Amino acid sequence: MTFFAPFTIPFIIGSLVMFSVLLVKYILWIVRLPRIDKRLILHNIFTTKSLMAVWEIIRESLLHVRIFRINPVLGFMHASLAFGWFLLIVVGWIETIAYIGGEWVPLHGHVFFKYFMPINGITEHIWFFEQLMDALLLIVLMGVGLAWSKRLRSRLMGMRRTTKHILFDRIALTSLWFIFPARLIAESLTAAIYGGDGFLTGSIGTWLSETLPSNILLNLYEPSWWIYSSLLGIFFITLPFSRYMHIITEIPLIFLRRWKLKPTTERKSYDRFEVEACSRCGICIDPCQLQSDLGINDVQSVYFLRDRRYNMLTLKVANNCLMCGRCESKCPVGINLNTLRLNSRAKRRNIPYEGRYRYLRGMDRSSGEGRIGYFAGCMTSLTPGVQRSMESIFRAAGEEVWYADKEGGVCCGRPLMLTGETDAARKMVAYNTDLFRRHNITTLVTSCPICLRVFRESYHLDGIEILHHTEYIYRLIAEHRIDLRDDGRTFAYHDPCELGRGCGIYEEPRKILNHVGHLAEAKHNRRDAMCCGSSLANSVINDAQQLRIAQRMTEELEATGCDTIVTACPLCNKAISRVSTHVPQDVAEVVAKNILN
Amino acid sequence: MRNLNFGYGISRPRVINLDNNDLRKSNAIIAEMPELQACIGCGSCTASCTAGNLTDFNFRRLHTAVRRGEYQGAYEEINKCMLCGKCRLVCPRGINTRELIMLIKRKLGDF
Repeated sequence: MTFFAPFTIPFIIGSLVMFSVLLVKYILWIVRLPRIDKRLILHNIFTTKSLMAVWEIIRESLLHVRIFRINPVLGFMHASLAFGWFLLIVVGWIETIAYIGGEWVPLHGHVFFKYFMPINGITEHIWFFEQLMDALLLIVLMGVGLAWSKRLRSRLMGMRRTTKHILFDRIALTSLWFIFPARLIAESLTAAIYGGDGFLTGSIGTWLSETLPSNILLNLYEPSWWIYSSLLGIFFITLPFSRYMHIITEIPLIFLRRWKLKPTTERKSYDRFEVEACSRCGICIDPCQLQSDLGINDVQSVYFLRDRRYNMLTLKVANNCLMCGRCESKCPVGINLNTLRLNSRAKRRNIPYEGRYRYLRGMDRSSGEGRIGYFAGCMTSLTPGVQRSMESIFRAAGEEVWYADKEGGVCCGRPLMLTGETDAARKMVAYNTDLFRRHNITTLVTSCPICLRVFRESYHLDGIEILHHTEYIYRLIAEHRIDLRDDGRTFAYHDPCELGRGCGIYEEPRKILNHVGHLAEAKHNRRDAMCCGSSLANSVINDAQQLRIAQRMTEELEATGCDTIVTACPLCNKAISRVSTHVPQDVAEVVAKNILN
Repeated sequence: MRNLNFGYGISRPRVINLDNNDLRKSNAIIAEMPELQACIGCGSCTASCTAGNLTDFNFRRLHTAVRRGEYQGAYEEINKCMLCGKCRLVCPRGINTRELIMLIKRKLGDF
């Protein structure tokens, strides 16, 4: 068999363009990886990590388990399109083999098998494959139907807002929407002329042959296959340049991620895999408080990644993000949205001039002596109650403490990093690391989650245990080094972004508060907690906008009917105190007031 | 007559010399951040400043000078800032001081 017909040309051109562009892109990105990443790949490629990646690809690229967890209907839509189409291809291959054995068949021979099969005089239909292929086509068509209705009413799938797409994506989207209806029509017309048993195409075919005269059927036959092939061709040509790049790119991304590659504060070609694996599904839009509280509609991660991908990212979009991580925790592809945002900011020239921060040389304002170091952090100096409470807790526990910044210290460097001044931040990192080493501390306690995160992520403090004060206090309670009285109050605890989603500390503050009173949970808590709006990461929104975000967040806390609002971050504390009738307290303050010993 | 000193007199224009000061950059800064004109010069930003606590860095003086078109040494001076953001939290007029620092840096040479 020749397996050639003129109508296959659009499909052949489309698939050739797609595969060559994909190949060039992936090879370039892999070649440009820094040496350390290449070594990681070589080190991990022949381990069980690769098998785990294959499993994850089945779960995420085909079945979309994470989207099912967000919303079952949305998950079914993605799974029916992805897994359904995948099965159509695989079963199509098996079907070809079942009909004509092991003979080599070109790609378009598989794809348009229904066209070639009757022409070549094979009239014996295999009933099983007819039904199976029709069932799969029906599943995909259901996915397409859901996609159409999602455009009309996205709330049906749990999404308040969907992505506003650019023209190019709309072209790709439209061709995708009509590929499978076109296939249904083409296969039904074939069945009408040559016969078929399928419950879907076969029945539509029988109905067509009964209603339409045969000369019309014959005139529609070839054009219908042309339309199907052209839609496939258009979709394949637009795929590498549109949002549908994610279909393929998620596969190498999952492998690379399993091989321990990750984005850093410096841009590298690995970022391209993450950026182009974004499907622009728009799940990141709803969690964004800039959207829900302020109505800002063009800075969310989906738009940020799109702008970055097409080189139209502006400073204003890059900087207009709280980096609260709410979208990152929902992203079904698991893209490191915050890190990508950070290294987009760092792309701006930020070489500090020679003498910058020369004043740090030889400076040491620390006081006290002890194995335990306490770093209050800049923000804590605005909430001196926290610092005093920590001091009394240390006293009650009989701890010898070295105070790093009681008389004014040096910033941890994270605020500089958040604005993209990574090079300048290194001077702070070097200064503070040296300070901690010089005073031989073994444990470092900090009251500021912003500092905590940078100590854990960007400092090299091997041999020094880094704790947030809530972790430290909980340890004191567990070891019975301090005893607390139950003062019967109800507390609503606000999860600070940097402490919760940033460092994964959710339970310690809650356990502490349960020792002192009862805990009431706000509607959004833990991984889903709201941001206070004062985040240093956002330098674009103004004071009134910050206040509005804080108000919405605080309303949820007040709605619990609590006696006291408690948080564990001096910045959140300040934000809540501006909008609430309650006086917010820090976990440390609550504890210090109720120490028995 | 010039050397006579009666103990009082009209002081020469000390700082604001519009013949020498080029206000173009200053105007560009205010155009991008109009809220800066709401500054009452209370000095809360300077009082809470982390860098100001360690050095003679004075943010109020600095941004006042920049607004007047006196850019001499301002860029070197502003690089003492560690961007910790406390000044924004204490500003009674709700000025986005942290962005102001980055804005001044952008306009006066960096980036």
